[in-house]
Amino acid sequence: MKVRLKAFARFREVMGSEQDLEVPEGTSLKGVLVLAAEGSDKAREALFSGDDLKEYVVLMRNRKRVVRADADREILSDGDEVAVFPPVAGG
Amino acid sequence: MITITRDDVDIAAEIEAAKRDTTGAVVTFLGTVRDDGIEALEIEAYEDASLPEMQRIEQEAIVKFNLQSVNIIHRVGSLRIRDNILLIVVSGGHRQEAFAGCEYILERIKQSVPIWKKEVRKDGSIWVEEEHPQE
Repeated sequence: MKVRLKAFARFREVMGSEQDLEVPEGTSLKGVLVLAAEGSDKAREALFSGDDLKEYVVLMRNRKRVVRADADREILSDGDEVAVFPPVAGG
Repeated sequence: MITITRDDVDIAAEIEAAKRDTTGAVVTFLGTVRDDGIEALEIEAYEDASLPEMQRIEQEAIVKFNLQSVNIIHRVGSLRIRDNILLIVVSGGHRQEAFAGCEYILERIKQSVPIWKKEVRKDGSIWVEEEHPQE
């Protein structure tokens, strides 16, 4: 299935703004990030501490927040849009 | 009305548009680029998520503070010192609800809307860290 991954702010700088990934059925939100970080030490360093997502990583699936602790239980569907970004700082 | 734009804002027009016959107060917040030794401020938004989030905040504020109108304009792109960043204009029957509603909207935007700022300095660039817990 296809999943679109968007990254913003300093994560965009190391991962690119958008990529379409072909992932196996049953892939979790965290699984997509693991795949996306595979080819890039900088992306892995930005997102992960060991096997865990860093605590400042904020996640969305189809423009709705997903709590980081649920990222490996959040199973994606074909056509989903996943977003990953650091804490927001608008206003 | 919620807008994310690269363009500057016509503040007087927004204030005028907020008035109703029953309006007793229009409260405006204007966030601007402060000179903290920076050359520019780059603002980035996840627009597809920011717009619905700001619409939720708008509706919350209207109900909670009995506001008559809410207009939020957030700029993106590269801004200079003194440039306008964020305009919030709210109107209400009375000043108390208009002041409280405007502040509520601002704090909620800072807390949850996916927008980021990067300070461009002579010696490099740094992303502004947020002040709110994210989860």
